[in-house]
Amino acid sequence: MTLTLTMISVSLLMTFILRDTAESIRSKIDITIYFRNDAIKDEQIQQLAEKIKQVNGVIAVDFIDKSEALAIFKRLPINDNIKSPIDEKNNPLPRSVLVDTQNPDDIQAVVNNIDSIDSNDYICSECVSYDQNKEKVDKVISATQFVQLIGIGLSVFFGVIAIFNVYNIIKITITARSDEIEIMRVVGASNMFVRGPFIVEGILYGLIGTIFTTSFLLLMAKLSFGGGSTTNSSGFSISNLLGIDIYTYLVTHIWQLVAVQFLAGSVLGVVVSLISIRKFLKS
Amino acid sequence: MNEVLKIGSSPSVKPPVDQVKKPPLIDFQNVSKQYPRKVALKDVDLKISEGEFVCLVGQSGAGKTTIIKLLTKLEKPSRGKIYVANRSLSDLRSGEVPLYRRKIGVVFQDFKLLPQKTVWENIAFALEVCAFSDKEINRRTEKVLELVNLIKRKDNYPNELSGGERQRCAIARALVHSPKILIADEPTGNLDPINAWEIIDLLYRINQRGTTVILATHNKQIVDRIQKRVILMKAGQIVSDQAGGKYVI
Repeated sequence: MTLTLTMISVSLLMTFILRDTAESIRSKIDITIYFRNDAIKDEQIQQLAEKIKQVNGVIAVDFIDKSEALAIFKRLPINDNIKSPIDEKNNPLPRSVLVDTQNPDDIQAVVNNIDSIDSNDYICSECVSYDQNKEKVDKVISATQFVQLIGIGLSVFFGVIAIFNVYNIIKITITARSDEIEIMRVVGASNMFVRGPFIVEGILYGLIGTIFTTSFLLLMAKLSFGGGSTTNSSGFSISNLLGIDIYTYLVTHIWQLVAVQFLAGSVLGVVVSLISIRKFLKS
Repeated sequence: MNEVLKIGSSPSVKPPVDQVKKPPLIDFQNVSKQYPRKVALKDVDLKISEGEFVCLVGQSGAGKTTIIKLLTKLEKPSRGKIYVANRSLSDLRSGEVPLYRRKIGVVFQDFKLLPQKTVWENIAFALEVCAFSDKEINRRTEKVLELVNLIKRKDNYPNELSGGERQRCAIARALVHSPKILIADEPTGNLDPINAWEIIDLLYRINQRGTTVILATHNKQIVDRIQKRVILMKAGQIVSDQAGGKYVI
C-alpha cells in the first residue's frame, strides 16, 4: 500500500512540478517592444499599448517609460561601475511596452499590431525567437506528458501489486474470522453489518498507508532537497538543477497530496475488502 | 420482520401434531440439490407442521445437513421449491434473507461460540447484529439464560464451560430471537450421555413452548427414546417418515 501510494504521490508531484515549470516557461514568453527612437511621443506609445490590449489572448500590457526603465536597470544585479554612468540626466534606456500573453500562440497577433510603427523605430524582443521558444515549451510539455505516462504506468503496476497484497491480508483476516461471519449470518445479520468492520479495516489501511507514505516522502525530500543542505562542495544540488525547491513544493502541497493518498488508499482498501468478503456472503 | 414470515402466533403445545390436518410450516416440494461431484438431495418432498418435533436421521452424507442449509438459505436448491410459512424461499429478496434467518434458530454440533466473548456476550451478539436496543438486549439475554439455566455462568468464556453448558449457550443464542423454528444439527454429537439428555430435554421444553424443532442426529438411543416423528434419510432421499417412530438402521 505504502509503495503504491508513494508511486502515485511521486508521479503526481513530478507531473505538477513539470506542469508548473511548463506554465512558468509559457508565462515568461512575453513580448517587449523597445522604442529606440525618442522622437516617438509617449501618447503614441500609449495608444499602441491600448490597441494591443484589445488583442485576443493578451493578459496585460505595461508601458515602461524612461524613468521606470532606469529604476529597473538600477535594480539589476550588475556591477555598479556599469550602472553609475546612467542616471536621470543621462538616460539612454529606451521606453518599452511589455506584453504578456495567455498563450505563446497569441504573440503573432500582437506582432501584427506593431506594423503601424516604422520598423526602424523599435526592436521587438521574442518576436523573432518565438518559434524557438515554442519548441522549448513543447519539449517541456511533452516531457510532462511522458513523466505523467510513466507515473500512471508505475502507479497501475504497483497498484495491482498492492491489490494482491491487501487482498491477501484481508483474506487472511476474513478467513480467521470466518466463524464469526458465519455466526453473524446465521443469526440474521445483514450483509452490510457483516461488511462494516472490513470496510473500516480497508479505510484504516488507506489511512496507515497515507501516514507512512507522507512521512516517507517528507523525510526523503528533506534529506535530498531540503533547504539546499545537500549542496556539495561543488555547489551542486538537484533542486538548483531543476530550479525548484522540491521540499518546499512538497510542504506547500502536502494537504492535496494527503487527500489524494488517503482517497486512493481507502478506495483500494475498501474495494479489496469487499471483493475478499464477497464469497463469504453468497447465499 | 413479521412481513417476511407470517407465522401463526398460537403455539401448539401438543406435539406430535397431525401433520395432514394442519397447513405445513415447512414444505419441500420435489427438492434436489446437486453439487459438482455429488447429488446431496434428490426429489425430496417433506412437510413439517407448526409446533412439531421432528428427528432427521441418517448416516453422514445422507442429506440432513443439506436440508438444514437449504432451510437456513445458506444454499439454494438446484431444483424444486421450498416454502416456509407459505412463502417460497427462492422469492425472498436478498434484503429479506437476514430477516428470515432471525425467525430460525440454528444450533451446531461444534457450538460455534465466539471464544473471545463471554456467555452473555455471545448471546447478546446475536441481538446486536440485528440492531436491538441495549434495554431489549439485556431483557432477552437474561430471560433466555434463565431458560437454559446458565445465568450463573454468564460471565464465563466458552473455554471455561463444559460441553453441555456450551451447547446450552448455543441454544440460548439460537432462541434469543424467539424463532418459530429451531434447527439443531447434531447438537449432542460432542456430548456425553448425561449432557446429551440435558440438551434433548431442553429442546423438548422449547418445543412445548410452541417452537417447531428439527433435530438432525444419528444418536439412535435418543431418537428411539423420545418417540417423535422420525424422518430417515439415505443417499439424499427420504426413505421413511414415521410419527412416533424409531431409528431403523
